[in-house]
Amino acid sequence: MARIPNRQLVHELKSGHRLGCTHLVELYQDRLLGEAKRTFSVPHLDAEELVGDVLLTVVTKIDTFEFLRSDGDFHYWVMTIFRNKVRDYKRQRLITEGLFESFQETALEEEETYSSTEYEVMKSILRQYEAAVRRDSEDDDDTEHGSSKLQALVEALDQLEPWERVLLRCRALDVPYEEISRYTGKSARILKVYHARVKKKLVRILSERHPELKPV
Amino acid sequence: MNQDILDFLLQLGYLEGRITTHGLYEKSVLRKQPKAVTSLAAKRTLVQRLEAALASAGKEPGAVLTVGLYLRSVRQEQSLDVRELSTRLGLSANHYKLVERDRLSPLKVPADSWQKFIRLFSLPFEVFEEMVRRTHRLVYFRASFQTTLARYDGRKSKTKRSVTLEQAAEELYARAHLPVPPEEEIKLHLLLNNIARGLKQT
Repeated sequence: MARIPNRQLVHELKSGHRLGCTHLVELYQDRLLGEAKRTFSVPHLDAEELVGDVLLTVVTKIDTFEFLRSDGDFHYWVMTIFRNKVRDYKRQRLITEGLFESFQETALEEEETYSSTEYEVMKSILRQYEAAVRRDSEDDDDTEHGSSKLQALVEALDQLEPWERVLLRCRALDVPYEEISRYTGKSARILKVYHARVKKKLVRILSERHPELKPV
Repeated sequence: MNQDILDFLLQLGYLEGRITTHGLYEKSVLRKQPKAVTSLAAKRTLVQRLEAALASAGKEPGAVLTVGLYLRSVRQEQSLDVRELSTRLGLSANHYKLVERDRLSPLKVPADSWQKFIRLFSLPFEVFEEMVRRTHRLVYFRASFQTTLARYDGRKSKTKRSVTLEQAAEELYARAHLPVPPEEEIKLHLLLNNIARGLKQT
């Protein structure tokens, strides 16, 4: 089935056409479900519910949406709603089950990639984030947001070359090497080779710049 | 996807809005070919949920569902030309205008033009079928409606006349819900079968 223009879809939703709902589901349900499951490791049933909530938000908030630049604005708007829903889901899971537990099983494998100190630094950031999110959920007035605990990571990323930053950020979200290649101007083959090295470089910067995160 | 602890931290950074991919991730999502993982029943349930949300937002779902009204609203929204759309549908401009004004029975439009219509607007077949049925009823009852229209049209005052004409139009569209005689149903059924078969073959 051919893809309908976003402007038509938005028009249908804004004017209450039933067809708009059908088109929205056709266009986004499987796509977002795949992303939630594959990229963000959300279990199938939770992912279905999450995607339903995303599309419901799109329908209920459609009157607040306006095209400002291009037809693609709508897609970015939907993706922002999706990102926020996945974030809320992850925070909720963290409060009920804990984030770090999911990495215990792969820890041995990762120990080969990173030194024990480097691994401990990353664990430390994750634990701090986890603790801050728990505090946020208990006290609404808390000014110390969970996201601020990721500042160390952001600062370390800033020490990398621009193309290295793009490579790490995009690969963490499963963007194909070919697309990163088009953006950075480096060949996909080179990016594949350098991915693991750049990861090591980032972790090294993290442990050097933040000695307080190292285990005592 | 193989994910290590660093990738997971980077993902958290993205979700928390601390890092960005300059739109590359969002674009890549659009380029990926999604696998059909949702059952038809689950899709239908979600569509119904969304329609209910539209209705509770004060919008009447399915309010505009004749071929003419649909074509007109899409053409105005996308600033398309009559000639452009008629060419894409394989109709002459005059023929197209009649379709857009709901003046022509869907039975008089060739099946391959309807197939082009479905593909152009990515219409699910059941939605298209409902649209065509309603248009057919509308055109079928229009003749008997002429007398009602004349009654409304007889008003001398211009403002009263326009108000009553609007009422007449509403009445006419309301009649598009009435059942048509069985022989008309059979003709429509044959046309829809032809269109569906053509779509399957291509």
